[in-house]
Amino acid sequence: MLCVKGIHKSYGMGRARVKVLRGASLEVEKAEFLVIEGASGSGKSTLLHIAGALDAPDRGTVEFDGQDLFKLPSGVRNAHRNRQVGFVFQFYHLLPELNVLENMLIPQLVLHSGWSWLAARRQARHDAWQILERVGLTERAKHRPRELSGGEMQRVAIGRALVNRPRLLLADEPTGNLDAAVGKEILALLSELNGAGQTIVMVTHDTKVASRAHRRVVLGDGVVRKATHDGGQQPIDRPANREVAR
Amino acid sequence: MYKWFLAWRYLHTKLIAFFAIASVTLCVAMVLVVMSVMGGFLDTIRARSRGLHSEIVLEGWSLQGFPYYQEFGDYLQENLSDVVKVSTPAIYTYGIFRVPATTYTKPARVFGIRLDEYVQVNDFGDGLYYNRYYPGSTTLAPQSMPVAGFDESGAFKLPADLEAANARWRSRETDPEELSAYSAKPFEISPHPFVTPARPGDRVFALAEGKPDYVGPPRDGVIVGADLLHQRNINGDFERYLARGADIALTLMPLSQTGTTTGEPPVRVPMRYVDDSRTGIFEIDSLCVYVDFDMLQHKLAMDPQEMVDGGYTKPRANQLLIGLQDGVDLNESRNRIAAAWGSFCNSLGPGATKADERALGFVDVYSWEDLQRPFIAAVEKEKVLVTVLFALISMVAIVMLGCIFYMIVEKKTRDIGILKAVGASSRGVAGLFIAYAGSVGLVGAILGTLIGALFVWNVNDIQDFLASLNPQLRVWSPDVYSFDRIPEVVKRADAIWVASVAVVASMVGSLIPAILAGRVWPVKALRYE
Repeated sequence: MLCVKGIHKSYGMGRARVKVLRGASLEVEKAEFLVIEGASGSGKSTLLHIAGALDAPDRGTVEFDGQDLFKLPSGVRNAHRNRQVGFVFQFYHLLPELNVLENMLIPQLVLHSGWSWLAARRQARHDAWQILERVGLTERAKHRPRELSGGEMQRVAIGRALVNRPRLLLADEPTGNLDAAVGKEILALLSELNGAGQTIVMVTHDTKVASRAHRRVVLGDGVVRKATHDGGQQPIDRPANREVAR
Repeated sequence: MYKWFLAWRYLHTKLIAFFAIASVTLCVAMVLVVMSVMGGFLDTIRARSRGLHSEIVLEGWSLQGFPYYQEFGDYLQENLSDVVKVSTPAIYTYGIFRVPATTYTKPARVFGIRLDEYVQVNDFGDGLYYNRYYPGSTTLAPQSMPVAGFDESGAFKLPADLEAANARWRSRETDPEELSAYSAKPFEISPHPFVTPARPGDRVFALAEGKPDYVGPPRDGVIVGADLLHQRNINGDFERYLARGADIALTLMPLSQTGTTTGEPPVRVPMRYVDDSRTGIFEIDSLCVYVDFDMLQHKLAMDPQEMVDGGYTKPRANQLLIGLQDGVDLNESRNRIAAAWGSFCNSLGPGATKADERALGFVDVYSWEDLQRPFIAAVEKEKVLVTVLFALISMVAIVMLGCIFYMIVEKKTRDIGILKAVGASSRGVAGLFIAYAGSVGLVGAILGTLIGALFVWNVNDIQDFLASLNPQLRVWSPDVYSFDRIPEVVKRADAIWVASVAVVASMVGSLIPAILAGRVWPVKALRYE
């Protein structure tokens, strides 16, 4: 479904320029739960953002269903991000002026123009409510983010990511800001979603969290390596190793 | 859809938006007040100008006037009856106005009019003060002084004809407040028949010792400009110190047909104050007095004068005021009357003397718009200038909006990242902030229009209130602005125009921050809490 090939990405200018990714590659199958591990600053989030077409690589390609996302016009790429990808962030990133239900409806509001929203409004609210039930927050529908706990906010963020029924859910350290118990709840929710066929790519530096995944890869030195059972790493960016990593 | 949804939500949840709205509100209110007051000023000048003289004025260039005015009036009635409804001659000169009882002296512009005709060609009749309460009682013919006295039942009464005239007014008046105000204080009584009263009043009449009557020798009536004779109190109302019928002295200087003095000493004419006139234009009301046309013509030696060959000169007037039939075009009528004047002069042939011919050559035909054009044009320019100045000041608000929106964009960087993460485009995000600014502009424009309109509608009450606290706070001086009251009309078109410009200006003001918002790099915005 998703094929990230030879991604290079660097930040800064001149001498301060830092190469974060040095040819990272990754493939994700449909309904897979893939975890990307790595130390802080290893480029996990950057890779995730590029995979979701939220950031552009310096070099390399990101193909979604065989289509190179960065060869598409920006409008199509925006639409791809709206319909095919759902993002979940470590710090939830909810809009503070909106209540829970409205936050969940934001991707739908972006999807529809004024007139089409009038037609789609009822269905959108119905869908959002169903997802709200699924994440167990119907009683909090009218609450503002500041009135929610961290776990509840993350559930809202997951609900928002799911509201347009995306094919790919990209989660960037979704438990990183939560205590262990709540983190477990969130992971259980993600596992449940994956069990229902949702493709998930999650970034984490917590090995316990990573154990939930079907497959784990490690990002180090700007390249993706396969995580081995003894805790070691094996590069998978070379063509010879790619199949091994799958 | 998210643009308008979020713009509306930001509008009533972000405190900073209220500062932006307040700045737009103040600017809209300020510009609307300026446009309304200046526009009302201009409209009042137009309306007053139209009712000031007549629709068409045939005017001689010089004070000694022109002959054949009556013949031309008759000529118009015969040949242009489809255009001309009525015409009346007028004379104007300059003199010295004096109230003998007080030795109050002022220079005055003296108009000789035929009152019954004059009120048909303009709005002069509407501004006569005593004639309102005692309709038909104001004439310029020789008359004595009406004095109030005791009737058989011992009640104060005016002479019978004035009481009857007042009864006519009361039967016609529909405003109950006016009627009750009159009934509460029918008129003021001067303690002495021939001098000023001890205190000012609304309608001042002298007091007879016995029955109501007319006293004193008959004298020609004079209508005095309200600001020439009376003082205004702090509320803008006039305080009348002089009893109706009091003595007035006018000193006039006759001119010969060639415009030189006649060699006779200036003429002192004793007159009787019969009414005061209010056109609403201070320059006129503080300068003009109106007397009978024939009397003034005679005193200025503009009536037929015997010549050495035994013949008589033609009587002269300075103006022929022409009222038009309803619905005729002003400029076309002026052109036709001007053509008729040319034909009329040519038809005089050798019957006219050389002096007459010279005087006739100095006559032009004007419409009321022609006469007032310089003044109206100046006010129009003043209106544009003041509006532009205030609009420039309002640019500060646009810059301020730009600053406020820059701050909003800075604070909303994370929201922008979220929106981009869920598929919003750069243009869409920019559109969100432009819509936000448009909403700020719209709310500010509506509030500003309401506040501005309320201010304009109550501007005179506000000024009166301020003046009651401190007379120095009376900002609208009739001496300077021609009108005694500030115009209180808000035009719908002005309000819509100002509000629309405010909305557009708000959106323009937010353009740079909105573009910057569109360029926000979402990854950076979303990386940290």
